[in-house]
Amino acid sequence: MPIIDMNKVYILGHRQERQKIFNLLHQMGTVEMLDVKSGEAWRDFQTLLEPEQSSEELFQIDSHRSDIRFCLDFFQRHFPIRKSMLEQFTGSRLDLTDEQFSNYVASFDQVESVHQACREAEEKLVRIRNEVTQSQNLIEDLRPWASLDLPLEEVEDGSWTMMDLFIVPFENYSVLQEALTDSFSEYFLDKVFTDEENVYFFFSALTENKQEIDELFRNKAVTRASFPDVKGTPSELIDSLNKKLESLQHEKSIVLSGVEKLLVHRHMLMACYDYVDNEYEKHQAVDNLARTDNSFFMEGWVPVPVLNDLETMINDKTETAILATRDPEPHEQVPVLLHNKGMAEPYEVVTKLYSTPKKDELDPTPFMAPFFFLFFGICLSDAGYGILLGLLAFYLYRKLTLGESGRQLLKLLILGGISAFAFGILLGGYFGDLIALPALLFDPLKEPMTMLIAALGIGLFQVYFGMGLQAYRNIKGGKPLDAFYDQGFWFIFLNGLILWIAGITFGQWIALTGAVGLILTQGRSQRSLLLKFFSGLLSLYNVTQYLSDVLSYSRLFALGLASVVIGMVVNSVGDLAAGSIIGYIFLVIILVIGHFFNMIISTLSSYVHTSRLQYLEFFNKFFEGGGRSFKPFRIKNNYVDIVETEKG
Amino acid sequence: MEGIAIAMLGVALAVGLAGSGSAIGIGIVGQSACGLISEDPDKFGQTLLLQALPGTQGIYGLLAGFLIMQDIGIVGEELVELTVWQGYAFLMAALPIAIAGFSSGIYQGRVLASSINLIAKRPEEMGKGIVYAVMVETYAVFALLATILMLFGIDV
Repeated sequence: MPIIDMNKVYILGHRQERQKIFNLLHQMGTVEMLDVKSGEAWRDFQTLLEPEQSSEELFQIDSHRSDIRFCLDFFQRHFPIRKSMLEQFTGSRLDLTDEQFSNYVASFDQVESVHQACREAEEKLVRIRNEVTQSQNLIEDLRPWASLDLPLEEVEDGSWTMMDLFIVPFENYSVLQEALTDSFSEYFLDKVFTDEENVYFFFSALTENKQEIDELFRNKAVTRASFPDVKGTPSELIDSLNKKLESLQHEKSIVLSGVEKLLVHRHMLMACYDYVDNEYEKHQAVDNLARTDNSFFMEGWVPVPVLNDLETMINDKTETAILATRDPEPHEQVPVLLHNKGMAEPYEVVTKLYSTPKKDELDPTPFMAPFFFLFFGICLSDAGYGILLGLLAFYLYRKLTLGESGRQLLKLLILGGISAFAFGILLGGYFGDLIALPALLFDPLKEPMTMLIAALGIGLFQVYFGMGLQAYRNIKGGKPLDAFYDQGFWFIFLNGLILWIAGITFGQWIALTGAVGLILTQGRSQRSLLLKFFSGLLSLYNVTQYLSDVLSYSRLFALGLASVVIGMVVNSVGDLAAGSIIGYIFLVIILVIGHFFNMIISTLSSYVHTSRLQYLEFFNKFFEGGGRSFKPFRIKNNYVDIVETEKG
Repeated sequence: MEGIAIAMLGVALAVGLAGSGSAIGIGIVGQSACGLISEDPDKFGQTLLLQALPGTQGIYGLLAGFLIMQDIGIVGEELVELTVWQGYAFLMAALPIAIAGFSSGIYQGRVLASSINLIAKRPEEMGKGIVYAVMVETYAVFALLATILMLFGIDV
């Protein structure tokens, strides 16, 4: 049975044992907790029960959690742990033994001081960064004035003369000069610096003319360069600012080396984060419970196969808890856990990407698995790539610790490699045409039509198979007539058409029988006779749907050919280089890189196009999906994986 | 002999147009990917995978071009004598993958640029982003199929 049966489980126990039971359940990781307040027990015994509330501790734990998170993020910002290309897909975690983990968690009291130190370092770094920006900006502003040999604090208006530093757009400068000479008899203007846009100048005049000068400057878009609160000439200032920048850099490196010393705590923090995060989950789960004065009550789903383990555990390890189970009721939203055996298991990853099946639905995985295996092989169809892919996937499978879907994906690729190897031998592909062995079955390059018809034939078979599964569902659901009308008539109609097209005239009578059947039955949900007839007639239009479904399988042919022909392209490019010794070196490089590249690209497109055929051409015949996945209450790992000791 | 030049136009269009479609598509995805990487450098591997997807159109174009080159003897021992009409036949055969490769590469790139946004928020849903993109690629596959069938039908 690919979908595991679930049972509702109720646990009633003494409050004092609550934490203990929680820890046990959390470790087992096989129970999905439900909110008691939305269950029927709550309705029936509302007078007795009260909602349990998560304790004050929750906030405490949450604040610890965010403290550790802050430290780890802080470390990551300044001393990042780089992930390798592979780890970006698999996620990288720290492998710890049970003992190491508990040692780290035991030093939890250090978290506070590390966090304190990180905070202080962060504050210092922010301050340094601000000061650096300020100084850099000031230097930028001062730079044009560097040749001005005048202490800036002396540039101020007196009672007789005014003076200041100004900036004017380049194109206005000459106009401004003319206007000044025209209007004022007494003034002093010293051009300090010119760049592409502006002219920077020192200007002094009689204070009594100040208003007119301001007016004139406004008209000519002159701006005042003001440097409040600084002393000394611009060049002195720039020098001292540069010195300040240096000392800030120095200070920064001191702070960072302080942080570097804190890095020894990184592993401890990672372990503590996982510990605290799981504690948080446990405390939060308390919200789901109900309680009386001295007891607690919880509700959840548990897969039937582990029910016994759960019962023995509760009986052996606790004194007060009682466990009760019952079968799910029809209206209940039962979570779905897939469990396929053997070869079909890795293909769960394909199903799950589409949708989790509903609880009463057929799990499509075992039906889809052989097709997936076959199609993947046809798309890749190269013995060399098959071996390479299989070995690569096998190596990664052994080397990496992965989650369930990662493992399934690699197993799927190993099987895919085997399938591609087989089809490579059948259709004669060995790294393109690198090894010229004849095809066992036929060569698709020489007999393309055979290959195309074979691809469409396999496609037609899968479409029929999907219809058959839907018919089976209808019969099982007590609607055998639906199976006959909706799948049977189509089966007759389509086969008749195919025979007819193939030149067997008798086929038209079979097709006609099917068509009449469809016209008579497909409108059966309509009320009026006329509507029944027309929607029946209209349903024949669906034949285009079947046609396009089957034609879609032609991609098997195209992709299979593509992977082999690209391999041949690589070989002939390599051939161009061959000849001298250097040429042969190039030949080898071209072959290795080219074939590896082609294998990766072809594998990718084999995987996605094969998946697409399952989803759109196969699943839509019989599979609805939309079920809810089983989400057990269990240990989550963010940073740390607990590995068994001495496993090598 | 005049047919050769026309057949070579077919090669040029298949490789050039389908390749341009891929280049534009990959470019669009790359732009989005850079935006995501600025926030989260650890997603480089995932985004690189998505960025590689619109590359297939260019490969299909190259494949079609290679098949034509093989048929007319450009890769191989000597050039085949082609009549003008045979040359046109090769040119026509190259058109499906040239046209559909160009447009599907671009639109696949657009879908994948959105997939980059998708994995920014929900990295675990990358598979679904890929499936949407493959919908677009379907038509490049069909065009390649038409091209290949047409090529196999030409007698030289």
